[in-house]
Amino acid sequence: MLRSNIALALVILFVFLLGCEKPFDPNIKGSDARKYVINGGVFAGDSLQRLAISQTSAISNPEYLPVSRCQVIIADDRGNSFTMTDVGNGNYLANIDQAYLLPGTAFKVEITTPDGSRLESDYDTLLPVSTLEAVYYEIEVHEGNNPDDLTQGVQFFLDMQGNSNDSRNYRWKVFETYEYHSMYAREWYYDGEVHHIVPPDSSTMYCWRTDQIAEIFTLTTSNLNENAIVSYPLHFVSNRSVRMEYGYSLLVKQYALSNAAYIYWDQMRQNSLQGGSLYETQPLAIKGNMHHLSNTDQEVLGFFGASQVVSRRIFLTNPGLNLDYNSTCSPTGLRFGVGEIDPRYYPAFLMGDAVTYYPVWLHDECVDCTLMGGVTVKPDFWPY
Amino acid sequence: MKQILLIVLMLLVLRVQADKPDQIISCHVNELTFEQFCTVIFQKSGVKVYYKSSWTADLKVSIQADSITVFDAVSRAIRGTTLQLSVWNDNLVLLPDQVLISELPEFETADQENAPTEQQSKTLTTSEERYLTGRKAEVIQTLRVGESGSQLRGKKAKILGRVLDQETGEPVFYATVFIEETQTGAVTDVNGFFTLSLKPGKYYIVFDFLGYEKKKYQLEVLSDGNFSIQLSKTVYQIEEFVVYGDRQRSMKEKDPGLDKISMRSVKELPMLMGERDILKVSTTLPGIVNVGEGNAGLNVRGGGADQNAFYINNIPIFNPTHLFGFFPAFNSDIIKDFSVYKGHIPAAFGGRLSSVFNIITRRGNRKNFTAHGGISPISANIVVEGPLKKETVSVLLSARSTYSDWILQRIKDPDIRNSKAGFYDLAGGINFDNQNTQSSIFFYHSKDRFQLADLTEYDYANSGISFNVGYNFSKTLRGEFALVGAQYAFNTIDKQEISSAYKHDYQLGNYELKADFKHQLNEKHSLDFGASMVLFKLNRGTVQPFGFQSIRKTMELGNEQGLESAIYLADSWEVMPRLTLNTGLRLGLFNPVGPKTVYTYADGFPTDIRYINDSISFGRNEVIKWYVQPDLRIALNYETDEYGAVKLAFNQMHQNLFMLNNTISVAPNTQWKLADYHLKPSQSNQFSAGVFRTIPRMGLEFSAELYYKLTKNYPEFKDGAGFLDSPQVETTVLQGEQQAAGIELFLKRSSRRLEGWLTYTYSRSLVQVNNGQQWNSINAGKTYPANFDIPHVLNMVLNYHLSRRVSVSSIITYQTGKPITYPISAYYNEGTPYFDYSDRNAYRLPNYFRIDLSLTFEGNLKKKKLIHSSLNLSLYNLTGRDNPYAAYFKVENGRIRSYQYAIIGVPVFTATWIFKIGNYASE
Repeated sequence: MLRSNIALALVILFVFLLGCEKPFDPNIKGSDARKYVINGGVFAGDSLQRLAISQTSAISNPEYLPVSRCQVIIADDRGNSFTMTDVGNGNYLANIDQAYLLPGTAFKVEITTPDGSRLESDYDTLLPVSTLEAVYYEIEVHEGNNPDDLTQGVQFFLDMQGNSNDSRNYRWKVFETYEYHSMYAREWYYDGEVHHIVPPDSSTMYCWRTDQIAEIFTLTTSNLNENAIVSYPLHFVSNRSVRMEYGYSLLVKQYALSNAAYIYWDQMRQNSLQGGSLYETQPLAIKGNMHHLSNTDQEVLGFFGASQVVSRRIFLTNPGLNLDYNSTCSPTGLRFGVGEIDPRYYPAFLMGDAVTYYPVWLHDECVDCTLMGGVTVKPDFWPY
Repeated sequence: MKQILLIVLMLLVLRVQADKPDQIISCHVNELTFEQFCTVIFQKSGVKVYYKSSWTADLKVSIQADSITVFDAVSRAIRGTTLQLSVWNDNLVLLPDQVLISELPEFETADQENAPTEQQSKTLTTSEERYLTGRKAEVIQTLRVGESGSQLRGKKAKILGRVLDQETGEPVFYATVFIEETQTGAVTDVNGFFTLSLKPGKYYIVFDFLGYEKKKYQLEVLSDGNFSIQLSKTVYQIEEFVVYGDRQRSMKEKDPGLDKISMRSVKELPMLMGERDILKVSTTLPGIVNVGEGNAGLNVRGGGADQNAFYINNIPIFNPTHLFGFFPAFNSDIIKDFSVYKGHIPAAFGGRLSSVFNIITRRGNRKNFTAHGGISPISANIVVEGPLKKETVSVLLSARSTYSDWILQRIKDPDIRNSKAGFYDLAGGINFDNQNTQSSIFFYHSKDRFQLADLTEYDYANSGISFNVGYNFSKTLRGEFALVGAQYAFNTIDKQEISSAYKHDYQLGNYELKADFKHQLNEKHSLDFGASMVLFKLNRGTVQPFGFQSIRKTMELGNEQGLESAIYLADSWEVMPRLTLNTGLRLGLFNPVGPKTVYTYADGFPTDIRYINDSISFGRNEVIKWYVQPDLRIALNYETDEYGAVKLAFNQMHQNLFMLNNTISVAPNTQWKLADYHLKPSQSNQFSAGVFRTIPRMGLEFSAELYYKLTKNYPEFKDGAGFLDSPQVETTVLQGEQQAAGIELFLKRSSRRLEGWLTYTYSRSLVQVNNGQQWNSINAGKTYPANFDIPHVLNMVLNYHLSRRVSVSSIITYQTGKPITYPISAYYNEGTPYFDYSDRNAYRLPNYFRIDLSLTFEGNLKKKKLIHSSLNLSLYNLTGRDNPYAAYFKVENGRIRSYQYAIIGVPVFTATWIFKIGNYASE
């Protein structure tokens, strides 16, 4: 992970005040040209092979524009081909027997879109992946802008040990899952009149949310003496969020990349790090390995890769942080009683105990954890 | 400062008195100082003795005589010194090595040019003489050259002259010398020498240089010979003193695309953080841009930052700035002359495509020890200078350092708070000056260190030493010889990731031997010729693991050597009275030499280690390639009239040393790399044309210049290229074509209460790297703007003298925003948004605009004082405008937000105290 905020350093080096960062309107004309974007590949170790096909959207109005009803065929260099199934929303799935997914085999994808465009990738060779030795964390304290302004948190790391035959290029995808609760069960509500639910409904009180960490993690060991790394830093979770309150699970998936795939993902990483640093390269239009066969001038974005994948999951409960976050739930006191509540918000939940309710309005986020993006189904890997 | 008692020769006062120097007095004095002795003489005879007290400081006078003439008494008193006694207006005058010409000076009459060379003065009676002298506008001293009676028979005499500073004894260079009768002239060289070729006779000769009093002499030429004169600095003791007249010549003498900055103008300009930055001042001149704060490089006429050569007394400086471009790497107080060549580059220079920044330092005061310096919140500097042996050996020492860490500790960002930064530079020299030989030893060292928290450490250093000897072989042939050793080194420690932490040292050595000759062939031809040889020794260093946990692979980037040799010949030919043609030919030869193993790559495949098909080994000192580099430099100068000139120039350059840089600005650990087996030297052809005009009545100068420059084999680096991963640079570089063109307008007003300059430049700089394939082209082979393509630049520099002690100055800069690559559309992968970017540099940042102000209070202007101080208050970026350095994009809550980042987005105020020994005008 390259921390190239030297710029920042300079900026302020001899100036008493920080160099300033402020929003501005760059007045970009933008491009109306819709380019196809492919993301996916063949990953030995995954039970299902996934591919997503979408189109670029205007910079002023970014949105996911899935392309459905494509014909998608994965072919290997040994004459086998596998058809992918459209499962909607631009996603395509295939179930390929692991017996076909052998290191050394090269794969490509051929796509025919509903408008007849033919897209094809280069072959990417499936490479064996090294062992993901360990994923672990340390509690770190980060200084803020004021020396007394300390942020405590959990910094995750990984150790990887490969052998000389393995690929020396890596990418890691990191997924976090955490448990969180809404503050109250549904017990009393008002929709013109007050109702009491007995027993209280706690079905939307306990949630689990899973996200992919947006940061791109890549590494090449080709400039290292060993095909190994220790303490490669992943992301940091501060004590200013609910994530570490109940339970936190981290899944790290390790991919072995071909040189072409490494160049692609590492450039993607560099582009995504743009932060106004001084000795930074300019962002660039990245070329993947996709081609538009029917219109060769038309660019296709994305990379179709092949790799073995290994993964490792760890679980944390209360790592010893002093949590310091604001709950999203802030009940409103009703000075003139429940009649104050605008009927638009019915049913409105109220604070109370087994006997009576109080004139305190619990907004929906106080009783429904799914509003914060989680699901109420406990993941099967959850340890308790 | 000692008071000068020197006679004012131009005094018009005539004292009527009967006393004569030849009256007989009785004189009995013992062990008197000369001053006391003169008092005695005056009391006894009424005869005054004019002299400068420093000449007779050590003199003790003992005379025992009953009857002696005043003249003889004084002669006896000065016996044993080099002083000569002359009679002037019935008083006595002492001059070193020089007898006051006793003949009557010439009148300024209409038929001056036809005046007979025979003197008539002896026939005049005393009263006639007085009468005539009294009516004269000015009394002019006569300089006599050569001996009478020599038989030149109408041939021209060759005269070698020299101009020195009266106060410090240092040579005055680039002073103009003008002969009124022939309307010809010369310019003094860096040692103050000039040559003239004149028929025997009498002429009026005028010496002029910015900051000095203009002096007019009568020159009597008898035969070949030499002489030297001293110019004194202008000290404004009267209310207003405006000199104009022959100034337009400086404009006409100007080579196309040569800019000079006078140190006086720099001293009055606004300072950033209390530093006088001559490089920053140069960016207010047309054709020189800096693409914003925090950027160390300068871009001259659309060229890259590595296309400029910086020399300080012949020592090349590879990184001319401290602290990432915020400060210049040399103390401005020691600079005597600063020239920037960007159009017609003299044949004596080579090796860089765009420009030569040539700095010549002062030689040190040859008469007195003195010191000066400045103190600001960031840094302090001091210069000490003086004679080791009066008039012949002088020494100059300069030191500058910063103490900035206390500021860093007050900065909010934790990484900065735990950082350290600092720099220092040292320079010094010893100069020997005899009549015919001038030699000097000069050294320079600058060092920077920067530690960013516990993540990265940088330090870099420029060092060099030069031995310079100048010798006059004859009146018309002068040689300058230099032996130079210079080194640039940096060291990086990167600890950001423990497993791949590394340390990298880099070193570049530059060893040069050169000889330059100047030969005044006759009055129409002046030749410059010479030879030089530079040995470059690069140790690109080893990337080594740092820390016991690092498993970084040791990567030797290798050594390389190259020899750059050149011979040149240039002729400045006055074709017709108003037409001068300057033709230069420089024949360069560049040889990369072994030991080296070179890899070759399969044809038709990318230059990539996967496609290596063979290797060639070169032994020690074996030549790897021969690059023959003929450069033609032509300049034509036509003076349309007394006040204007038209110039045309064609300039060819080659460059063999490049910077490996693919970031927006030049990083402190940017490596230099020689042209080699694969990487070809770059070559440029530049055409330029200009018109120059002065309006002396209004103190205005105006110029307009047009240029077009085409560069071949311009190196660009592949996307995402890294320079630490492989010794084979050819795998990361592509070569293409660069075109630059522009028009530069310049208006300057000087010697007024309100003075300064206004410039406007329109220029473009475009790059195309298209070698036919996707893998050997950049931006799909399409032309794109260079990172420093700044079309519109408007600069205004103003200086207003509120009074003689208070002046306000201001720099106003406007330029088009620099090119940038923006996202043009968005897409999602697994829920995360990504951007698709435009063609390279297809967009521009918002325009750049800045106003700086400075207010300088000078201490009192008394001529006789021990220390002169001044206080400078500077305000950088008065309006606090956020001039964006970069722009970037983030996705926040599903919306894309764009941010701009400004390096100095607030007004910055600094106060600096500047002191020196001596008065306002002392150096």
